Amino acid sequence: MTITRRTFGAGTAAAAAGLVLGSRAEAQGLAKDAETQLYEAAKKEGQLTWYDAHHAVEQAEAYGKAFTAKYPGVKVNVVRTTANVAYQRFKQEVKAGGPQCDVLSSTDISHPIEMKKLAQVEKFIPANAATLIPAVRNVDPDGMYHVTSIGTVGITLNSGKVKEADAPKKWIDLVDPKWKNQVSVGHPGFSGYVSIWVWEMNRLYGWSYFEKLKANNPQIGRSIQDTLTMLRAGERTVAAGSFATALEAKAKGEPIDAVYPEEGTIIIVAPSCIVKGAKSPNAAKLFMEYMTSPASSEITVSYFGESIHDAVKAKVGKSLASVKTMIAPPEALSKDLAGLKEKWRDTFGV
Amino acid sequence: MSDAAIPTSVGRAASRPRRSFDWTMLVWIAFAILLAVIVINPILRLVWESVATESGGITFDHYLGAYGRWRYIQSLLNTLVMGLGTATLATLIGVPLAWACVRTDMPGRGFIKLCVLAAFIIPPYLAAVGWVLLAGPNAGWLNRGWMWLTGAKTGIFNIYSVWGLIVVMGLHLFFFIFVFTSSALELVSSEMEDAANILGAGPVKTAFRVTLPLIMPAILGGFIIIFLQSIALFGVPAIIAIPARYPVVTTQLQEFFSSNNRVDLAAAYAIPLLLITMGMLGLQRWFLGRRGFTVVGGKGGERRVVRLGRWRWVMFAFALFVATLAVFMPLLVLLQAAFAKAWGAGLSLDNLTLDHVRFILFKHETAVWSLLRSIIYAGAAAFSALTLALVIGYVVKRGLMRFGNVLAFLCMAPFVIPGIILAIGFYAAYAPPPLMLAGTSLIIIVAFTTRLLPIAYQNASAGIAAIHVEMEEAVRILGGNRLTAIRRVVAPLLSRSLIGAWILIFVPACQELSTAIFLSGPGNRVLSVLIYDFSEEGRFEQLAVLGGLLLIVTVAIVAIGFRIVGRDFMIRRQ
Repeated sequence: MTITRRTFGAGTAAAAAGLVLGSRAEAQGLAKDAETQLYEAAKKEGQLTWYDAHHAVEQAEAYGKAFTAKYPGVKVNVVRTTANVAYQRFKQEVKAGGPQCDVLSSTDISHPIEMKKLAQVEKFIPANAATLIPAVRNVDPDGMYHVTSIGTVGITLNSGKVKEADAPKKWIDLVDPKWKNQVSVGHPGFSGYVSIWVWEMNRLYGWSYFEKLKANNPQIGRSIQDTLTMLRAGERTVAAGSFATALEAKAKGEPIDAVYPEEGTIIIVAPSCIVKGAKSPNAAKLFMEYMTSPASSEITVSYFGESIHDAVKAKVGKSLASVKTMIAPPEALSKDLAGLKEKWRDTFGV
Repeated sequence: MSDAAIPTSVGRAASRPRRSFDWTMLVWIAFAILLAVIVINPILRLVWESVATESGGITFDHYLGAYGRWRYIQSLLNTLVMGLGTATLATLIGVPLAWACVRTDMPGRGFIKLCVLAAFIIPPYLAAVGWVLLAGPNAGWLNRGWMWLTGAKTGIFNIYSVWGLIVVMGLHLFFFIFVFTSSALELVSSEMEDAANILGAGPVKTAFRVTLPLIMPAILGGFIIIFLQSIALFGVPAIIAIPARYPVVTTQLQEFFSSNNRVDLAAAYAIPLLLITMGMLGLQRWFLGRRGFTVVGGKGGERRVVRLGRWRWVMFAFALFVATLAVFMPLLVLLQAAFAKAWGAGLSLDNLTLDHVRFILFKHETAVWSLLRSIIYAGAAAFSALTLALVIGYVVKRGLMRFGNVLAFLCMAPFVIPGIILAIGFYAAYAPPPLMLAGTSLIIIVAFTTRLLPIAYQNASAGIAAIHVEMEEAVRILGGNRLTAIRRVVAPLLSRSLIGAWILIFVPACQELSTAIFLSGPGNRVLSVLIYDFSEEGRFEQLAVLGGLLLIVTVAIVAIGFRIVGRDFMIRRQ
């Protein structure tokens, strides 16, 4: 993988050339000697464990491999699970006396917020965090956690079964009786993406959205990726799905398409943090530097994900600047999600 | 040497005049303590967790929390319906098949027996995925076939329903009632059936009026076992019951345990299920224990084959139908999925790919490791369960310690604990400090060992009972101690049946999901859990490849068992 061999400097230089980021010093990222120093310390630790809910399995492993290719001698044990599973495992481990992971990447921002309250986060501000696009920079004023990935949730569909003219245009269309037995959704109890989608729909339309959705007899899977499987198989025709995987399928010629809903495409900022008591603190820091560097965005877009660096452009789909988007405030999510999940279980029975 | 010459050898060790201190006694005590720890500790911790407050007091709040919502009670009721439905379906399948295979001239009996075994060897969560591909309401093969045939707009099967749950579980679990009924039928002599024939009853009437009542206790026993097995399964409901919106106890336990991280609520929610299980098993023993009802006349009497005439082909068609549903169709769609770019795209050359196989074998970081772990953990668990069972069985059968029957009871006790509940107990017992075994290989091996100890004990103790004590006495007269006797005499004599038992433990341990799901972390993720993770993401094609690997390993081990111990070792009543 050629991108993996690039130095941190390449992306930042491009960004600086674009003259979009603030002062030059800010956009500089990790300095060479600081990097060498950190790398030496990380090499002594030899490895780190990364709980990752941001990416699908191969992609998660691609970062791990690229990281190790860039920093030989520092292995990444990639554990890809859904956000809740990753976080529950972490909580159980803390209860059991010590976390097994060094870096935790959840898709559910309430996780690091709670961890922060419980003093389970190791404060670290990667120098490369300054290279992030402004919208996702400094999500935590205290620098405890950082955005390492964004996702988009919108309407996805099987374009072989749904004609463009008939396609839903808005989120509210999914509860139209026209789509009875046709909608596929994930489960907020299993997926961070789905729980934020639930939060946004509740904000836009109140809980009656889900009561109407229930009348449409949606297929409820577990993760948000499950909805794509259902579209692919033709089991269902429209879904509240993740754009990254849907656009990838489209790019590969599958009959899958994405609709940017008029109310707004949901942007999900996914944070990563170093856990308190990490067994490999230096490797974890180096990894955080890597994940906030443009090199990681290069991998992200090669998997059809959204870039978090101006210097790296997404491969497919519309530019997010050209469509209406929504980002839910982290504190509100943190406060509301538990109650919404319970409400979901009461409404849908599972 | 006759028994009378050394009467004390089978009595208690304490009453024997000693030549010197028998240090092997320490070994027996160590094993007894080990047994007590691995069996009692998780159960105690489970009970404690269900009533303990943070500060160490006692409370019943967890029970209120666990049963305080109608949704939670609904899950319990749903579970009972599912269990009864599964047991009924399994009985309707298993009893006629057992009768046909044991007592009739139905063609292809050996083949059907193999199919029954195959239905059991395919892990239920894998069969569930197969059935999602077969009977998904819109895209399932069966429904598409139906729509193509009839021009209908909608399919007729919906796997995402309580019926789907019952069919998938019933087609897996009927194995138990088949085995129970077969064993009972082998004891019913033909003389009674002859009497009915002489009095004018035809074969069908004889079957219903004479044979069936005679084997009723075995059928009821099998019914109860299947009920209990089905309500304890986790994988099938996770895959089918969530989209079906039909929550059951095991998915509810997962909600408490994983999604909310409330071990206390999970424990409280589990206790009534545990009580149901214990009560039902008590009932089952009572059925099987009523000997006046059944025919236990040793192997005396003749067992002749019932000639079915033309009906033999009807019976064969039924058996083949069951085998098709339980084995061939799920395997076929999984095979298709494993080599398809997208399983929904159908059977065509340009939908074929080796990408998934390549990905799992060479590119996925943990898949191959998970497979190896499954094999190693299952092998280690089978080995330690058998070692423990052999030693305890020896102590009990030779009367070396007081309270031998307590030890025997402890060995059998895990049988009444559903795997997922045992896992909660294990988590509560071994995850917190000072042991902190969460996420380690050890916790999985110990959990599997405990869970499968009953199978090991039954096999080992039956074997030891069959070995006469005089051969061991010979060892001891020549100066060996009891451990030498076990190692050099008992174990070699039992080797064949121990190999059979090892496989009987290895196979379920290799596939075990319910116990592993709550104990699995990054460092000890077994293949069944990886398959579960893939199902969560809807990665059915790659899941099919993983499932294929698991089946290859299992079938290979069973085939080795066939060669060494003979074909019937898995279908015999244990």
